[in-house]
Amino acid sequence: MLKRVKQPRQMRFGRALPVIVAAGAFAAASAYASAGESAADERWWSPGEGRVFPEVLDYENEHGTLRTLLVGGPLDTRGHPFFEPISSNGRACVTCHQPSDGMSLSAETARDRWDVTNGVDPLFAAYDGSNCPNLPQGERASHSLLLDRGLFRIQRQWPPAPRLGEEVVPDFTIEVVRDPNGCNSGVEYGPENGRISVYRRPRPIGNMKYLLAVGFNFDPKQGLALPRDPKTGDYLSGNLMADNRAFTLEEQMDDAGLTHLEMLRDLTADERDTIKAFELSLFAAQQAGRGGAVDDSGAQGGPAVLRDAEPGELGSIGFPVWGEFAAWEDISAEDRTRLTLEQVEFRESVARGARVFRERTFLVSDSAGVTTQMGFGNPFRVACKMCHNMTRMGNDVAPGQVDLGTTSLPFADHFDDLPLFRITCLNDPHPYYGREILTYDPGFALSTGRCADVGKITLQSMRGLASRAPYFSNGSAPDLRAVIDYYERRYNIGYTEQEKQDLVNLMSVL
Amino acid sequence: MKRPLIAATMLLAPLSAQAQEVGEIVSFVSCPVYRDADNGRKSGCWLVRDGGSGHQWDVSQSPHKPNWDYAVFVEGRVADQGEDICGAPVLEPVRTSRLLDRRCPRHMLPAEGYPGRVFIAPDRYLTSLANPPEFEDPFGPRTFYAFFEFDRDFLVYQYSDFIVQQAAYWIEAAQPRRLVVTGYAATDPIEVSGVELAESPEIAQRRAEVVALTLSRLLPGMEIETRWETGSQPIDVPDADTIPGQSQRRVEIAVEF
Repeated sequence: MLKRVKQPRQMRFGRALPVIVAAGAFAAASAYASAGESAADERWWSPGEGRVFPEVLDYENEHGTLRTLLVGGPLDTRGHPFFEPISSNGRACVTCHQPSDGMSLSAETARDRWDVTNGVDPLFAAYDGSNCPNLPQGERASHSLLLDRGLFRIQRQWPPAPRLGEEVVPDFTIEVVRDPNGCNSGVEYGPENGRISVYRRPRPIGNMKYLLAVGFNFDPKQGLALPRDPKTGDYLSGNLMADNRAFTLEEQMDDAGLTHLEMLRDLTADERDTIKAFELSLFAAQQAGRGGAVDDSGAQGGPAVLRDAEPGELGSIGFPVWGEFAAWEDISAEDRTRLTLEQVEFRESVARGARVFRERTFLVSDSAGVTTQMGFGNPFRVACKMCHNMTRMGNDVAPGQVDLGTTSLPFADHFDDLPLFRITCLNDPHPYYGREILTYDPGFALSTGRCADVGKITLQSMRGLASRAPYFSNGSAPDLRAVIDYYERRYNIGYTEQEKQDLVNLMSVL
Repeated sequence: MKRPLIAATMLLAPLSAQAQEVGEIVSFVSCPVYRDADNGRKSGCWLVRDGGSGHQWDVSQSPHKPNWDYAVFVEGRVADQGEDICGAPVLEPVRTSRLLDRRCPRHMLPAEGYPGRVFIAPDRYLTSLANPPEFEDPFGPRTFYAFFEFDRDFLVYQYSDFIVQQAAYWIEAAQPRRLVVTGYAATDPIEVSGVELAESPEIAQRRAEVVALTLSRLLPGMEIETRWETGSQPIDVPDADTIPGQSQRRVEIAVEF
């Protein structure tokens, strides 16, 4: 098993030179380069370092090695709006979308950064890197949600902003039952002041062509054709953000600029184009795990395949979801002599995990988005791939707003440090929760204003999971096993211990 | 009001299980039972017992399947069944409409040796953007029909969505002058299993607006007029699958050149 090496992280498969160059540039340019930081933090990309982003960039994690490929790289990041602190708070996009973390940010990285900078890194900006801006910012406790579960504060407008050019009139009321952080009450925050704070994990911004891909022109969960981008006429995937509040990368950038970056101006068209081009050129996935390279012996893991493949394919009618590891179902005698026993067993486990993912069915019930109006019925029997259906990525080919219960009671895990809201449906009750709903995060309903959408969170990419714990939108699963354990509790699946481990091993190499 | 009630009664008259022959129509309201058969994805069975005849039916082939919390309005034809897949005679074609004002106790049966159906993608399966259908002249005035669950305006997956999508591809190729989208609601009451059923008048407008919105997204710039009518009567068109009630719950898309 590979060990996690923190300082510096060892390059295993990548080209050493770009990172060496980048490290040198970082030492010269980082605003936080200090005795406490040193080479540490070749792993951490600070805004404005001016590092070179290489074509191939590897970072170790507890499951192996994550690789990021930059098409057209290397890229000199000097002056690049993704990397420069164009904000008013010292952040850049890269602050919360770190290459070592699959272009997301792990809670462990946040903790490392707190320790290295004594909490003064722009990552911990009061606006959203603390539990609430009105808390004492020098104290660790004021940043506990970011440090413990990798959560950023997301402030949503209430009532919701117009959507697709139409006014949103909510069909529910929202009250604050509990406000442990002070960001949903008082004279400044809370529904009555038009500001609702929820707390969410940053979504990875690599492999974007898959998240923007549209396989079909219908949204079967809404019973409507997909909306189109009014500027380009393209259909909109609906898979960018947890609550689907932004339909395009441009909208997402504008939202992030005004909130996470606290920009005092709008992004320019050139900045948007440059950031978009960069994000569409990035492909990130685990390149090696306990079984060695994930593209060895006929397997097709790793980011190179992602870079080269067509996005938007539905696994049930095309290349099977996680068929990348089918070759490991039957490991040759030659490979068995070449590999260690542990590597062979791990590969076999990954291959079994892929089959469990596709074929081990269980009853899904009371999950708005898939058990309500689509026609499948409630309950219905399916496997993981039913929702995680896009070939090579594991997100939903259709807009992926589904309520797994991770944010709403009674299914959500218990957290005292998250706000708790009471939703009261004004017209029809929610099909499963009833007229009153207790939720930590109404999710999609904060965008649509519909009671029926409470708790729906957009499925996201499953690539690079090993690098970006914790999981689920509210960081409620600290590790990959906890993800499986949640599904087991939620749907009473009855996975065997072997099946659970096989699924964990599969997810660790994606 | 009288005429539709009489017509419905004639069509939907309760018949004993022994008297029901292949092709006869059956209609009733009752609570659904889920049989947890496992023959791969979506292979579970839905069974519903007709309280009038005492007969239980396999209604699993409905394009919009039941929710085990609510009663369903079943409309189907007795199928010429071979193998007993779910443990009850089959209705096919069949429709099950959820009645959300009539709660039911959840009930699930084990498979008990019944295999359940292997899921086969239906013929009405959305066309991917990578493989759009092609249509050629001659084009001329034509009407398309999309269908709905009782008292709902949702274009259900692998049924109504496909119909509207295919219509849009044809319209795109035909380049007509405009579309007239008319929503219908079956507002004349019928009595089924002692329950009076009538769609709300508003649903006719909502159906028209949902289809018009979808067509406006599929066909940007197309002129679309919406209309709506209540008191819908059955029509005989293929995609209603010979279910008279289904044909009443429709939207018509009239293509004008």
